[in-house]
Parts: sequence; C-alpha cells; structure tokens
Amino acid sequence: MKKESKSTVRYGMVIDLRRCIGCHSCSVACKNENEVPLGVWRSWVKQIERGTYPRVRKYFLPILCNNCERPICTTVCPVIATYKREDGIVYIDPHRCIGCRYCMAACPYGVRYINPTKGVAQKCEFCLHLVEKGIQPACVNACPNNARIFGNLKDPESEVSKLLALNPFQVVKPEMNTEPRVFYIGGLDITSIEKVGEGIE
Amino acid sequence: MEANLLYTISNGETFGIMIATYFYLTGLSAGSFILSTLAYGFGIERYKPLGKVGIILATLLLVLAPLFLLFHVGKPLRSWELFVYLNPSSPITWGSYLLTLYPINCIIYGFFMFRGNARLTRIFGFIGIPLAICVHGYTGFILSFGKARILWNSPIMPLLFLVSAMVSGIALMILVCVIKDRFFSREKKINKELVLDLAKMLGWVIVFDIFLVICDVSVLFVSHREAFEVGNLLLTGKFSFWFVGVETLLGKIIPLFIVFYPRTRNIPALVFACILVVLGIYAMRCNVVIGGEFIPLL
Repeated sequence: MKKESKSTVRYGMVIDLRRCIGCHSCSVACKNENEVPLGVWRSWVKQIERGTYPRVRKYFLPILCNNCERPICTTVCPVIATYKREDGIVYIDPHRCIGCRYCMAACPYGVRYINPTKGVAQKCEFCLHLVEKGIQPACVNACPNNARIFGNLKDPESEVSKLLALNPFQVVKPEMNTEPRVFYIGGLDITSIEKVGEGIE
Repeated sequence: MEANLLYTISNGETFGIMIATYFYLTGLSAGSFILSTLAYGFGIERYKPLGKVGIILATLLLVLAPLFLLFHVGKPLRSWELFVYLNPSSPITWGSYLLTLYPINCIIYGFFMFRGNARLTRIFGFIGIPLAICVHGYTGFILSFGKARILWNSPIMPLLFLVSAMVSGIALMILVCVIKDRFFSREKKINKELVLDLAKMLGWVIVFDIFLVICDVSVLFVSHREAFEVGNLLLTGKFSFWFVGVETLLGKIIPLFIVFYPRTRNIPALVFACILVVLGIYAMRCNVVIGGEFIPLL
C-alpha cells in the first residue's frame, strides 16, 4: 500500500525536448548555484547524433535527479540521511550522510556524486534553498528557451500540471519502478537517447 | 538506427576495489568459522584440528575487514550513526549490527574453545553459524539491492556469495593447515588425511559454485539489453581475461581438476590449487563489484 502524502505540494519538472537546444546553460547555472565541485555534475545534457551526412541530427536529453516518488536511494540509505520530504523533494541531510556511496550504487540514473571535499553524497534537490523562498530552480531560470518548467504537480492550475494533462509524456527508465517526477514531453522516444552509449568505456 | 554518443557525464565509480576486498575478507572469515564449527559445534572428530585455527582466522579477518569500509566511506568519523539512525530496509543497517555481534561471538566461542569448555563452545558455535551466514549473506544483499546494475540486482547474489565464501574459506584453511603442520607443529608432519578430506569438500563446493555462476551468467544473455551488455563484458569484453581466464579457468577449473584427478591428489599440487582458488575468488569479488558498475548508466 502506498502512503499518500497529505501535503498539497508535490514539486516536479517538465522538460520540453522540442525546445532544448543543447546549450548547457542549465548545467552551468546549476554548478554555479550549488557550488558543485570540478568533475561532477548535478544536471547535464546528454547529446547523441543519429543518421549519416547529409541527413543527420543531434538529440538532447537534459538529465537531473528525478526526485522519484518511490526512490531506491532512500530505501538503501543506512542512516536515513536521504529521505523524501513532504513536498516530494528527495533531500540529503549533509550533516548525517556518512558517504558510504550506497545510494550512488543503487540509483539507476547515476545522478549522485560524492563531494570530494565534504565527503558526503550530493545531488539535485530542485534548488531547495531557492524554491523555499519562492524562486524557481537555477536551471529553470537559466534556460533560454523555457524548455524546463518547474512547479507543483498537485495544483491543477500550475503550468506543469497543464502540460502533463495536454501532452503525452515520458520518464527515464520507467521499468525501474521508481516513478520519476521529471517528465519529458515532445521530441522522440527518450529510451532511444537514454540507451545510446551503454557499453562504451 | 545508427546513433553515436556525443556527450554525457559519469559521476565516477561507487564501490570499487575497497568494497570488493571487504566482501572477500568477510567471505574468508565466514568460511573459516563454519569449518571451525564442524568439529566443535557438530562434533565431527576428524575436523578437530581445524577448530582453533579456524576461529583465530575468522576473528582476525573480521577485525581487518571493516577497516576497508572505513577507508571507503567519505565520513568515517560518522560511522557511529549506523547504530543510532536505523533504516530497516537497508542491508548496511543490518550489516552494522552483524559486523559487531559476529566478531564478539567469535571471541567468546574461541575463548571457551581454548579453555576446553566443550558445552559452551558448542552453544556459541551454534549461535555463530547463523551469524556467519548472515554476515556474508548480507554482503550479497548489498549488491542485490543495488537496483541500478543488472549484474548485482539478482536474487542469486546472496547465495552465490555464500558459496564462494565457502570455497575461499576451505582453500585458505587447507593452506593454513599445511603451513601450520609443516613449520609450527612439534612433529613437522602434515596431516595428509585431513588435507585430502578438505580437498574433496573443496571440490564439491567448487562444483556448486560453478553451477551458480552458470545460472547467473547464462540468464544475462536472454534478458534485456543491459543484461546482454554485461554478459558480453564478462565473456568477451574488457573483463573476459579476469572472468574467463583468472576467475573461472585458474580459480575453478584447474583446481577442480587437481582435486579430483588421482595423480595430482598430493600435497604440493593441492597447495598450488588452493593458492589459485584463493586468488580466483578475489578476482570473482572484483569482477562482480567493478564489472557490475562498469557500464555507464545514462
């Protein structure tokens, strides 16, 4: 039985792949806002190319923590340092995390990293410190084409809810049964982007 | 349709060689402990010489093993939190208690054994057997719960880990018995009967281990795409030397041959076989841990 949260807020993100131009502004803004160390990323844009010249096209897939409804990271965290908040954001308590990396090993999306100086796990938290003040996450603010839309999934009047009601949407790795709360609309089947590159060094 | 990867990010390896070594040491410890209880718990007389060596090995290896965990975690000074903030669904939470209770039980069991108290030794031996199985079984669960990786996320993993723990435990025990008898005993004479007996046991456990590995790997090839990639990685890809060559051929097939072929059933050949087995199981731990997380996720 799934426990339904009583909260009236459930944050989520919609990414319109038709609008993404692969400029990496979101990655840079995220690094800047969250002081992400060198070599690791909270959000990035995966790029693939398909076809042969002259019929060739690039495809983009912005990736970030899905802040899942059924997160595996919270299941395996031995000290409950990572947990799902009432508003749906999967948070890591930096004062409790012991840096055992089990959440990194279990996460099917590979979005967690160890902060080399602090020794604790970190990931995208939808810019919690900004959202609590009523400001949009840094990547959403930075996106020049409004490809990223952030909002309350439980409010039927919010832009994310409207987009999800009117558009077919996809999530990354639905087979993992984590119920991601980052949705992709537009563009082609994202599994064809997500699978490319498996088996490379 | 042909597609090429242009850009993606990988946030680095998660478990790596430290955790593989930790799994290996707990496996050796659990294997040695179970052998030790054959004599003092189950009362099988011919394994009596193993009891004391077994318990010393089990305790020492298990004191050593968690050190690798401390080297691995980012905040070792916060490890006390493991005992205070409990998450019942996390194998590491189970493990933090098992890793405390098991060595304590080992020390009590060893204490009574050296004092010659047969009844209490037996009791603590029987308490220790489920603990030893849990202490190594839970390491299998750590990998099984690692949902992201298809090689880990398999229900066979705890059993595979337990059986390979027995393989490495028996092999190490043969080596230690031979060294102890040859150099440190009064008669300087190797107990050949015991060594041959253990070798036979080793052989049958290796057969079971090979069976489990075949179950595990063959299913990868008929499962979905990611599983197929991992299967290829092990059999023909980057890890084929370590998986096919070191782990399977050197670590299992050749020792099996030495153990069961009558002409090679002598002490030097068996010692050689046991060295191969002990190294082969280490390769197995590394293959599972490092090979499992080798393929990028996104």
